[in-house]
Amino acid sequence: MNTQPDTTEIDPADHHLLDRIAHVTLRAGAILAQSGASVRVVHEGARMIAGGLGVEVLGIRSGYASFEITLARDERTLTRMMQIGPHGVNHRLDFAVRNLVLRASHGGMTPEQIESELDSLQLDTPRHPPWLVAIATGAACAAFGRLLGADWLSFVPMLAAASIGQGIRHWLLGHRTNVFVVAAIVGCVAATLGGLGARLVGSGTVELAMMASILLLVPGVPSTNAQTDVLDGYPTMGSARAVWVIMIMVFAVTGLWLAEFVLRIPA
Amino acid sequence: MIDDLISMLPYLAHQAAFGAVAAAGFGVLFNFGGRALFWCAVAGALALGIRTLSQKTGASLEAATFLAAIGTSCIAILSRRWLGVACHAIALAGCIPMVPGAFFGQALLGYMAVAADTSGQSVAQLVASAQAFIRVISIVGAIGAGLAIPAYLLRSRQF
Repeated sequence: MNTQPDTTEIDPADHHLLDRIAHVTLRAGAILAQSGASVRVVHEGARMIAGGLGVEVLGIRSGYASFEITLARDERTLTRMMQIGPHGVNHRLDFAVRNLVLRASHGGMTPEQIESELDSLQLDTPRHPPWLVAIATGAACAAFGRLLGADWLSFVPMLAAASIGQGIRHWLLGHRTNVFVVAAIVGCVAATLGGLGARLVGSGTVELAMMASILLLVPGVPSTNAQTDVLDGYPTMGSARAVWVIMIMVFAVTGLWLAEFVLRIPA
Repeated sequence: MIDDLISMLPYLAHQAAFGAVAAAGFGVLFNFGGRALFWCAVAGALALGIRTLSQKTGASLEAATFLAAIGTSCIAILSRRWLGVACHAIALAGCIPMVPGAFFGQALLGYMAVAADTSGQSVAQLVASAQAFIRVISIVGAIGAGLAIPAYLLRSRQF
């Protein structure tokens, strides 16, 4: 990371403080972005932390994979950038960080304290166990299937196939596999299992069962966040999210198409 | 009218129940906490209930989805006292069961079939796929607008 300030002849102690503030501000914003918050929330959070630490924000820029901020204090300015990791949805972490941001905005906290609380939140915010997430996701997909008109016979195959699909997704993402490749693999495996199971139990809605088994891959939150970002005045990020959603769907449906080929289902 | 309403109650209950299961299931995936998960299920049931009722009274799927999203968003914002600042996230989770993933899949599979067709007889397939794709855009737009409009009008922008 570049450690040169934007302005020359700056007191090293001031520079270090401004640097720490920029870092903690960017980190909070990056965690919010990775947890599924919209760009407006990320920017507002960054401004609130900076304000609480007595610094003015001159500008913020958010891309899909990076986040930049320019801070000013007295006559000094500093610009920093941070990478944003994979985007996901983590409601409890998102709101825990927002809560911390609110406290920090009232003042009285140091950058180090905020940083340490961010560390704790990332480590200690509870998550549901993977087996529960898999079963709940399977139940959600089976419910989707019923809403689409799939018969009762295919309910358990859809539930099982989507649960296994979620288990595979969790394992592959844990091994840092590319998210689009994961969508294709999970789409293929879940649709094959769902279709095979539905066929074995004599369901009359095998194709619907296959479709419902891959609905865990549909990025519902990013698709609405894309619109929120455009409405809030961030069309670049909104467009990036929309392209990401389309790409995920293309890969997921490629998996489904392969499954239909394997099960000899006519197009 | 009342007879019609009574006769559709089982279907309405079915749609609301599975809307609740889908919303709560995705709520677990999105790491909502225990109490919030209950409210996600309520929001999912409400959204699917409004959409089913609207469709039964003659609204198109797109219009019914818009009404469901706007209704769920309004009720969530007005219940902020109980739901807390997470009211917008709960409304969003409630609308997830209406995201048209299956239409998207149909559209893309249709386009793949058109691309593979060598007979030159794929006009009907092309039209069906384009129609499914337009429905995806309309429904996703309806959900986004339905969730956003009340938040802007009721000045309930979350942080």
